[in-house]
Amino acid sequence: MNFYRTGASGTTIGLVVVVILVVAAAGAYLAFGAGGGSGSTTPSTAPHTTPTSGLLPAATINGGGGTLVFPLMSSWIFAYSQVQPNIQVNYASIGSGAGIAQITAGTLNFGESDAPLKSSQYTALPAGSTLLTVPISASAVVPAYNIPGIASTTHLRFTGNVLAEIFYGTITTWNDPRIAALNPGVNLPTNEITVVHRSDGSGTMYAFTNYLSDSNSTWRSKVGYATSVNWPVGIGCKGNEGVAGCIANNQYSIGPLEIAYEITNAGSISYGSVQNHAGNFILANLTNIQLAVQAGAKAGLPAGNAQWSNFSIINNIFNDSADAQIYPISTFTYALVYQNLGATYAGTSQAQAAAVVNFLWWVVNSGQNAGQKIGYPPLPANVVSADDTTLRSITYNGTPIYTGS
Amino acid sequence: MANLSKSSRRARSRGDVVLRSLVATAAIGIVALLLVLGAELVNNSGLSLTTYGLGFLTGTVWDPVHLVFGALPFIYGTLLTSGLALLIGLPISLGVAIFLSEKARNRRGMGSLLGALVELLAAVPSVIYGLWGLFFLVPVMKNYVEPPLHSYMGFLPIFGTTPIGTDFLTAGVILAIMIIPTVTAVSRDILNAVPNSQREAMYSLGATDWEVTRKAVLPYARSGIFGATILGLGRAVGETMAVTMVIGNAPSISASLLSEGYTLTSLIVNQFNETTSSLYASAMVEIGLILFALALAINFFARVLVWRMTRGARFRI
Repeated sequence: MNFYRTGASGTTIGLVVVVILVVAAAGAYLAFGAGGGSGSTTPSTAPHTTPTSGLLPAATINGGGGTLVFPLMSSWIFAYSQVQPNIQVNYASIGSGAGIAQITAGTLNFGESDAPLKSSQYTALPAGSTLLTVPISASAVVPAYNIPGIASTTHLRFTGNVLAEIFYGTITTWNDPRIAALNPGVNLPTNEITVVHRSDGSGTMYAFTNYLSDSNSTWRSKVGYATSVNWPVGIGCKGNEGVAGCIANNQYSIGPLEIAYEITNAGSISYGSVQNHAGNFILANLTNIQLAVQAGAKAGLPAGNAQWSNFSIINNIFNDSADAQIYPISTFTYALVYQNLGATYAGTSQAQAAAVVNFLWWVVNSGQNAGQKIGYPPLPANVVSADDTTLRSITYNGTPIYTGS
Repeated sequence: MANLSKSSRRARSRGDVVLRSLVATAAIGIVALLLVLGAELVNNSGLSLTTYGLGFLTGTVWDPVHLVFGALPFIYGTLLTSGLALLIGLPISLGVAIFLSEKARNRRGMGSLLGALVELLAAVPSVIYGLWGLFFLVPVMKNYVEPPLHSYMGFLPIFGTTPIGTDFLTAGVILAIMIIPTVTAVSRDILNAVPNSQREAMYSLGATDWEVTRKAVLPYARSGIFGATILGLGRAVGETMAVTMVIGNAPSISASLLSEGYTLTSLIVNQFNETTSSLYASAMVEIGLILFALALAINFFARVLVWRMTRGARFRI
């Protein structure tokens, strides 16, 4: 009797093991299938399609990169699916670094980054490839704070240098004369400043630290700028929500917050205005952010297929004294796509190539107004026209994809 | 046995062969997975290992811009918060487990309701704990728990800094909350497995309830409870999201539990997806390697301790 019982439970264990192995194999298949980049089968006889006319043949394209643009990208993908129902666009907000790594490895149809590639990242690209840099959105960072007794309608004034001194830890109290000098008539408290910043690497911090580096030489040499830096003081909180939460939890705190958070949360956290090079204190809104990137690009953007390592929209805006109404901590996010698409390293079918160009074209031309409600200003005309030139240059196996006017 | 025919015995043995090869493959697969994981971590952290050597373990600065990497604050943060979690969580878990197995044993309704609740808590995803921690626990700690600790016991270095809410102590508390369900559920099952003859023997000597629990039940179950503790410690060391939300994410080695800190797991979740140079990426993988080694070391010492505790003991669980 005992013998049979053992046998039966042995069979059960065997069955369980088999089920587990089958599930694991299925999971692995799905994972590798999804990671392969080409989600759907596409007819190889797909006609050469102009991106601006008619419905495209079915294709799935995968993009991935920075988290800053993710809310906007989600609304773009939804709106685009109404225009091109055969095209499935996936976007993974895996971070700019991962976006660059995956476009380099050819596992994405397009990448996204909050900062242009460094020259070392350009040299890591596959031989014979040319990676295009396409600004697809603008954004901005505001100094948000929580000071009891100061009304949210009283927007404190900051300069880049004062912000750098606060975040470097050399200004430690709210009534420091350097803050008071900018804010006459405001009754600043004597309390210590609690500095808050993002703990995760992000394009928001890239833009903010780039701006602080422009404003203050100590910051530039000691801390520098990147998506993650060695913050001299303060507590790190994860994500925009985390920074907002930490500011709300800590009285007398200050932290850099993305403007989209402020707009979608109806200014639930107070934020200040920042002085631009012309000397005006500007409270960020969609108009003055758009003006800022327009001014930053007025001397011309690098060619789409050039190396953008030495280009900084933030530096250009910082140094611009001619435009009086621009918000200084404004920045771009960039789409990254190969100029010469094909099976060689980009792993792209013709239908996917047509879909990528069509989608990016739609994003920079038709999609820009979609962002205003969620806090992203439309790109100015000079940037859109530069992007159009770049997108027209994309080829599939040597043949231009865009054949419209 | 005797009535089994030859053919059915052969069929059984063929089944045995299939089963044995299946489970052996699974077992070898686990070992292979561990080896591949370790080899991959060493391989991908090669650049960082050769660049920084042992200095990586003792360095205290983490500067991705200037490529200066030291892991000590993160190792310190991981050990400190996990230790705090055990210190707070273990007595509570044991108390709940003793209540469930010894006191509520004959009160079916209450015991099973509490037991089900404990298991439910263990199933809550950690990011939920993290968000709850950030928006509820942090303000409570900052406004109601930490100020009295600081003002009455601030002369002790462990409470010596101004309370900020996002710190080692809060991280330890949230980790304790997260390991309590695990440790409780396992400990309760172990206490339930203690034979009633043990209790009855003590009662027959005229022992009180507490004496029965302390002198008969707990000693009998101690190696199992220790195992449950290590399970909890493992969860605390590897926990990522909830800690990241409440620890403050500033690399510091401070004796004060009220100052902000950083753990190995938080560093990975915060920075791995934005690593933009090969040396930076390599250093991040080395952080993973340290975490891997730390987890292995904790389990190894736990095994040794259990072995030493139970050596010569007559009963094991």
